[in-house]
Amino acid sequence: MDNRTTKAATIELKALVAEASQALAALDAPRLEELVHSCEALNRELAQENNREQRKQLARQAREAGSDMAVFGRVLEATRANLQVMNRLREMRLGRLEYKAQGGAADWAGPLPGSGDGNH
Amino acid sequence: MGTINSAMSLIGGALDADQDALSVVANNVANANTAGYTDEKPDWQENAPITVGGIQIGDGVTETGATSQRDRVLEERLDQQQQIAAASSARLASLNNIQALLTPDSGSSSATAGDIGSDITNFFDAFSSLESDPTDNALREQVLSSASTLAGDISSAANSLNGQSAALSQNATGIASQVNSLTGAIAQLNLEIESTSPDADAGTLEDERQQDLSQLSQLIGINQVATENNGLSITTTSGQLLVSEGESFQLTTGTVDGATDFFLGGTDITSQLASGGGQLGGYLTARDQDIPSALNSLNQIAYYISTQVNTDNNAGVDAEGNTGAPVAGSITGAWTLDIFSPPPTYAANLASDGTDTSGAAAAMTVVMTDPNQIAAASAGNGTGDNSNAVTMAGIANQAIVDEQTPVNFYSNFVSTLGSMVSEVQAENTAQNASVTQLQTQNNALSSVNLNDEAAAMSTLETSYQAASQVFTLLNTLMASALNLGEETTVS
Repeated sequence: MDNRTTKAATIELKALVAEASQALAALDAPRLEELVHSCEALNRELAQENNREQRKQLARQAREAGSDMAVFGRVLEATRANLQVMNRLREMRLGRLEYKAQGGAADWAGPLPGSGDGNH
Repeated sequence: MGTINSAMSLIGGALDADQDALSVVANNVANANTAGYTDEKPDWQENAPITVGGIQIGDGVTETGATSQRDRVLEERLDQQQQIAAASSARLASLNNIQALLTPDSGSSSATAGDIGSDITNFFDAFSSLESDPTDNALREQVLSSASTLAGDISSAANSLNGQSAALSQNATGIASQVNSLTGAIAQLNLEIESTSPDADAGTLEDERQQDLSQLSQLIGINQVATENNGLSITTTSGQLLVSEGESFQLTTGTVDGATDFFLGGTDITSQLASGGGQLGGYLTARDQDIPSALNSLNQIAYYISTQVNTDNNAGVDAEGNTGAPVAGSITGAWTLDIFSPPPTYAANLASDGTDTSGAAAAMTVVMTDPNQIAAASAGNGTGDNSNAVTMAGIANQAIVDEQTPVNFYSNFVSTLGSMVSEVQAENTAQNASVTQLQTQNNALSSVNLNDEAAAMSTLETSYQAASQVFTLLNTLMASALNLGEETTVS
C-alpha cells in the first residue's frame, strides 16, 4: 500500500468527520455522496494496511475523531427527526390536494388548514 | 356582438387578474430582503361561466387577494429547535467560563483562580519538606505560604462562580423583560390578525407575529396553540399561559433564598423555565445546576482539607511546645492552632453530626500568622519531632473528600466538568445544524411551488441517506483503525 496515501487520509480523518457534519447541516447532498466514495476508498485501503507505525497513527487519528463522530451522530439524529417532520407535512399536503381535487377547487397550491396559516 | 363583448370582457378580466398577480410578485421582489417577510402567492377565484347560445363558456378567473406561503407546522418545528439551540448556546457559554476558571491554561491571564490541583499538591508537599527539618523557619513559612495560595485560589474561584451566578440572574431578568415585551406585541397582533383573517390574508401581520415568535423561541421555551380565526395562544413548555389570543401574562421576578426567581401569575416557575429551553432556560440551568454543582465540589474540597488539617495540627505540638485547644467563647468552633479558618458550617455540623459544606470555599482563608504554630511534632515527642508533619503530609493520600484523595477528587471534578462541556458542545453543534436545515426547508417552502418543494424534500432525503452511509463507513473505518492500533501478543 502507498504509505503516503494512508498518511494523507489519516491526517484528515478528524477533519473528514467534521466536514461530513457540516455537509449534512447544509444538506449538501453532492458533497455527502463524494464523502461516501472517499470513505469506501479509505476502508479498502485500511484493510490492506500493514505498516505498524501507520497502524498506530490510524488508531490515534480514530481516537481523536471520536468526539467529532459523536457530533456527527447527533446531527444525523436531528436530521432524521427533521425528515420525519417534513414527511408528515408532505403527507398532509398531499392529502389536502386529493381532497381538493374531488371538490373541484382551483387553488391548487394554497396553504393547508392545520399545516398552513388557515387564512382561507 | 354579445359574444364579442363577452370575449373582450373575458380578456380584460384576464389582464386585470394578471396585473394583480404581477403586483403580488412585485411585492415579493420588493420585500426580498425584508427580514421575516414570507412570499405571497395570488389567490384565484373561478368566475361564474357565461352562457352563449345555450353553451356555457368559462369566464376566467379573478385575483381575490394574496396568501402568504408559510407552513405553521414547519415554523413551529423551527421554533422548537431554536429554543433548544439557544438554551444549549447560553449554557455552553457559562460552562466554558466555569471551565476556564477551574482549568486555566498555564500563564493565562484568565487564570484568576490559579490551578487548584497544583495548589493542593504544593500544600501537602510543603509538609513533606518540613519533615526533613521541623525546626527550619523557612520551611514553616513555606507551609503557610502554600496554604495561603490554596485558600486564596479556592475562595477566588468560589467568589467568581458566585459572581457568574449573579450575572446570570441579571441576564435572565433582562430576558424576562424581553419576553414580556414580545408576548404583549404578539397578543396585540393576535387581535389584529383575528379581525383580518375571516375576510383576507393577514400576510404582513403574520410575518410580524412569526418574527416575534421566532425571537421569543430564542428567549424562552414555548408551545403554540392555534385558535379560531388564526389566533394563537402561547404557553411555556410546561404549560403556563403566556398569551391567550389578545391577552398576555407577564413574567415577574422576586428574591427567594437570595436568588432571583421567576413567577407567572404568582406561581414560582423558575425550575420549569430552566428545563424549558431558550436562552432563559440555558441561563437558569447554568445558574441553578452547573454553578451550584461546581461550587459544591469546591466546598467539599475546602471543608475537608480545612477541617482535617486543623484537626491534625491541633493534635500536635508546635515549635513552642503548645498543643491545640478550643478558643474560649468561639462560636465558629475555632481552636488555637487552626491553620485555616473553620468553615462556616463547622460548628453547626459538630453539634448535629452533619456534613453541610456550603460556603466553605468562598470563606476559606488562612488564620495562622505565626509559622511557629505549625505543630510538626506529636505530643510527648519534643518540639524537634517531625511525626505530626508526616501525618499532615499524609493527608494528601487519605480519602477525605467523598472517599477520594483531595487531588483525585479535584481531578475527577474537573474531568467531569470537561465531559459535560463536550457533551453540551456536541448538542449545541447538532441543534444549530438542525436549525440550519429547517431554515433551508422553510425558505424553500415559502418561495416556491409544490414541485420545487418536492425537490427540497428530495435533497433532505438524499442528504440523510448519504450521511447515514458516511456514518456507517466512518464507524467501520474507526473501529478497524482502533483494532489495528492495538498491540497483540504473539505466543
